[in-house]
Amino acid sequence: MISYTLRRLLGMIPLLILISIVVFSLAKLMPGDPFSGEIDPNNTSVEYIEEMRENLGYNDPIPVQYQRWVTNLAQGDLGKSTTYKKPVMDVILERLPNTIFLAITSLIITYILAFTLGMYSGRKPYTLGDNVIATFNYGGIAIPQYIIAIVAIYFFSFKLGWFPSNGSITPGLEQGTWEFWMDRIHHVVLPAMTLGLFSTASYTQFLRNDIVQNSQMDYVRSARARGTSESAIYNKHILRNSIIPLVTFFGFDLATLIGGAIITETIFTYPGIGMLFINAIDTRDYAVVMSLTLLFSFLTLFGNLIADLLYGVVDPRIRY
Amino acid sequence: MEPTVQTNIKKQQKFDSTWTIARKKFMKRKLAMISLGFLLFIIFVSFIAPYVTSDDVTRIDMQNINQEPSSEHWLGTDRNGRDVFTRTLYGGRVSLTIGLTSMFFVTLIGSTVGSIAGYYGGWVDNLLMRFTDFILTLPFMVFVIVLNAILIGMGKVTGMWSLIIVFSLLGWGGVARIVRGKILSEKENEYVLAARSIGCRPSQTIIKHLLPNVMTTIIVQATLLLAAYIVAEAGLSFIGIGVPVEIPSWGNMLMEARQTDVLQNKPWIWVPPAVCITLTILSINFVGEGLKDAFDPKTTK
Repeated sequence: MISYTLRRLLGMIPLLILISIVVFSLAKLMPGDPFSGEIDPNNTSVEYIEEMRENLGYNDPIPVQYQRWVTNLAQGDLGKSTTYKKPVMDVILERLPNTIFLAITSLIITYILAFTLGMYSGRKPYTLGDNVIATFNYGGIAIPQYIIAIVAIYFFSFKLGWFPSNGSITPGLEQGTWEFWMDRIHHVVLPAMTLGLFSTASYTQFLRNDIVQNSQMDYVRSARARGTSESAIYNKHILRNSIIPLVTFFGFDLATLIGGAIITETIFTYPGIGMLFINAIDTRDYAVVMSLTLLFSFLTLFGNLIADLLYGVVDPRIRY
Repeated sequence: MEPTVQTNIKKQQKFDSTWTIARKKFMKRKLAMISLGFLLFIIFVSFIAPYVTSDDVTRIDMQNINQEPSSEHWLGTDRNGRDVFTRTLYGGRVSLTIGLTSMFFVTLIGSTVGSIAGYYGGWVDNLLMRFTDFILTLPFMVFVIVLNAILIGMGKVTGMWSLIIVFSLLGWGGVARIVRGKILSEKENEYVLAARSIGCRPSQTIIKHLLPNVMTTIIVQATLLLAAYIVAEAGLSFIGIGVPVEIPSWGNMLMEARQTDVLQNKPWIWVPPAVCITLTILSINFVGEGLKDAFDPKTTK
């Protein structure tokens, strides 16, 4: 296991280098200055740009520039945001907790719902309840997230007034108090639900099918023959087997959450890194765009790694 | 003796091809047939829109802004006084064009890479597949947004084509991987050896002999891709970085719903595109599922 982990980590190094080269090349294709953020892309005066380019070493050979960029990156210097006039690192760190909070809430909701619905459906397949859940799942998988989001805002925020439609916190609340945290949770529930709906639907359906399949197995029959109660069979024997593939989804979820967070955060104007990314594209704040692209790519790579590793942890039959 | 032989021949002549079997199986599925009908209808209506509607979709008419649905404007007008019904039709044109064209290019690139990797094997396979793996590790949405911004920044292509190019460049990984797997198992068959031994060039073997046998898989994949790109286009336009706002697309029209007032009080502006996207995606999915079952030799119905 440890040697496999090490091998996987080593195998990631070329990918990391390749990704950094791709991001660097993309940044070179962008107008203005995506690295240090010192050149304002909205100031189009030729002399200004030329002077800044010379000062910042943009006329150096490409490999030298790449090396300088990677060195800065390793030292945590991602350049300066032209919009916020602050180091990119600070801007991202400011928003990152919001996104992590959203992602974790979304995961918790996803897992609770998927387990409850999936276990119910799997235990009583082909009943009315199962069919209703299956229809819900089909909708959750097929209907695009943003449409679900605006319909959710329309009904839950405007018609029913249960949840706020934007932001992450009501202004003016004192940080750290009970009301502060309740308000944050209140703000995060709706975006988290829409963000997690796709995963919820696919997990539920997966768990249901797996339980139905497992309940035909010989070990279930012998458990029944021994007189084990139905609930013990489903909750202990079958669930343990059905849970294995589900756990590995967690890693891939990171990638889904990233893609989803960009759109969901923008719709709910939730101040996380997804919305920061879109705003940075709009305001041509390329230093931020490039740093976030790199961050998103690394997170995806990391997610795949976790998925692979978890596979070995939860399923003792797998040997490396 | 003779009559039995003749009936045998007759029976053999009646044997259906894969495509006939699939078509018959597909026709029996009501949901898939209804969806296919709806899909063809939507495509047809969207593409004849310029010839049957008289309204100008880009003209701003300040006297008729935000009107509720009436006999003159079937679905009302938006905040620039443009007819929502006409715009929905035009929007369908743009969204479907992007979806269909991207699907075509992605399938083309994916099948080419996949079949070359699968057919030649060895270092070619290794090289192409590592590259495919790399493309697949990149977060799709993020790179689509960045590349799209770069392409539009260069100013050589319009929003619609830059999206098609970006989707085609980043989306082919999945198809390539699936086609390669299929070709790998398919090329072990004797007909491939026969084709090679009578002197077919590799390109001929792949195009004439191997691809028809993996075509069913490719078609099912292509259907799913069509849905994925329509969703992606509308999503990107919805958050304001896809097709430019002057051109109506379903995503662009949905963008109006980001204004609280429109979302809350003027549902006729955002409901039509939302319904169109949802129904289109659902019917593409139903058709895809129907095709999958129809092509599957294990299902009998």
